[in-house]
Amino acid sequence: MSRKRPFDRDASSLGAAGGRAKSWKRPLDRDASSLGAAGGRVMSRRVNAFWGLVAWLVGIAFFLPVAWMVLTSFHSEADAGTNPPKFGASLTLDGYREFFGASTGASPWPPLINSATASIVSTLLVLLLAIPAAYALAIKPVRKWTDVLFFFLSTKMLPAVAGLLPVYLIAQKIGLLDNIWLMVILYTSMNLPIAVWMMHSFLAEVPVAILEAAAIDGARLPTIMRKVIVPVAAPGIAATALICFIFSWNEMLFARVLTGVVAGTAPVFLTSFVTSQGLFLAKVCAAATAISLPVLAAGFAAQDKLVQGLSLGAVK
Amino acid sequence: MVGLGRSRAVAFVAPALVLIGVFLVFPAFWTLYIGVTNYRLTGAAAKAPEVVGLDNYRGVLSDPAFYRSLWLTLIYVLVSAAVGQNVLGFGLAWALRGARRAIRRLIESLVLLAWVLPSSVVAFLWIAMLDRDAGTVNMLLGQSPGTAWLVQYPMTALVVFNIWRGTAFSMMLYSAALSSVPPSHLETARVVGSSTMQTLRDVVLPHIRRHALTNTLLITLWTFNDFTPFLLTAGGPDHRSEVAPVYIYNTAIVGGDMGYSGAVSLVVLLINLLLALVYLRAARAGRSS
Repeated sequence: MSRKRPFDRDASSLGAAGGRAKSWKRPLDRDASSLGAAGGRVMSRRVNAFWGLVAWLVGIAFFLPVAWMVLTSFHSEADAGTNPPKFGASLTLDGYREFFGASTGASPWPPLINSATASIVSTLLVLLLAIPAAYALAIKPVRKWTDVLFFFLSTKMLPAVAGLLPVYLIAQKIGLLDNIWLMVILYTSMNLPIAVWMMHSFLAEVPVAILEAAAIDGARLPTIMRKVIVPVAAPGIAATALICFIFSWNEMLFARVLTGVVAGTAPVFLTSFVTSQGLFLAKVCAAATAISLPVLAAGFAAQDKLVQGLSLGAVK
Repeated sequence: MVGLGRSRAVAFVAPALVLIGVFLVFPAFWTLYIGVTNYRLTGAAAKAPEVVGLDNYRGVLSDPAFYRSLWLTLIYVLVSAAVGQNVLGFGLAWALRGARRAIRRLIESLVLLAWVLPSSVVAFLWIAMLDRDAGTVNMLLGQSPGTAWLVQYPMTALVVFNIWRGTAFSMMLYSAALSSVPPSHLETARVVGSSTMQTLRDVVLPHIRRHALTNTLLITLWTFNDFTPFLLTAGGPDHRSEVAPVYIYNTAIVGGDMGYSGAVSLVVLLINLLLALVYLRAARAGRSS
């Protein structure tokens, strides 16, 4: 983003630094824009303001369920369950205390630690495997290797539920049911295809000239990777990691079937928590909020690169 | 100099390929095999499954429940993703195209929340809010006892839910896409007095056609394979919201009939591959042009 020229400033926040978005903002265009009739401008400004307001309302409507959840999590059980809901009730941390087992002694830490293990370890493994693969495919690739790239993509399009049965049977056979390391391996392979594609899209932005200059200066591949590629592609690598983290943390289908008491992840824990504690709305909202925090943080951190990454390079 | 030699390139790609092969591709093929057996989750057929040939496939293809599930999936995907998320996402991006960056980012963040949250959290949220007796929606509507939304209108609820859940991606993608439309073209369109519809059709659409295609196919595939409907309605009541992934889950894990479910999986897999092929063709065409 630092490469943006002054005129690009109001261009998209989502990485307009890429290819064709660049060429249009020439001085001439600015003259053209000042030719607009003054009356039409006032009119369109009003129309824009109207649609802007609509966008605000829609945005807030989208936000309402989440706001309700967070607000309720800070209410006492008595206030959370009233009809009509008391939105202005006093706030308390009791819901969170209860979620962490203040009165029952039941700790939510094992599932949280399971989720953290599965997400973090699998994300690290994904990076370890995806960066070299994407490098080989992005920097001066052998021509036919686009096919490899598309193979990666096509595997992501297999419906997850179709692979569920065999994975279940294999896990059962080798005794890995209800084992968090099975989830680590599964999440790694599930996120790999998309990570390779995302990394490819980000690495393709590294100017080959820099690499060649480094090579001429005598840098060898490991040095080039560490000193040139990783720094330039760092935002992309970070975004890829964050998105993989989000996907693994949120994964529900496999976790639900393949884990149980020991290796249950946080989302699975939440579903059973809802079943057993559903009457205690504040407590459940606190649980849901606490479980959402890691991915919310990751989501906001990755926001700017999210679309470029997930659209597989179609959007720069 | 910078490019890797062939052998080193292979070494770089191979580990990823092996992992994907073992854990994604191989299971998919195994699903093909399970589909021709009478494998069950429990009981005698679990210990020694027999090959029953194409019986499962015959059963699936003559099962009204399967066609109902496909039909529901089609509605779910078309209405909530292809139309709902697409149109609302574009609308939001269009409405915010002139807004200040900070404002656009803020609204994007609000919408993004729904996209980022774990499916078990959003499922709980919607179940709680749509509850007949204590649900916030019914309270706000002043109904008591209120409508049991997920029971009386399961598909409508799922569609609305998925629009809420997924619009963020379309919005952000179109927002990026719209920035590739030269402002001077929009300005010209305004000066010559073309209507918004004309501007969209003649100026905006040609620039974002490829983005729209990518977006539609991505959200279609995501919605098609989305398991969250199970958490909301479990396919019920009376199978009225049993979209394909839920149907597979219900026959295999709940019903225990792995063989039959494997056959359904294969059919779903083929539909997905078909969609993927359409996408790959389109993506390649876009790349070469």
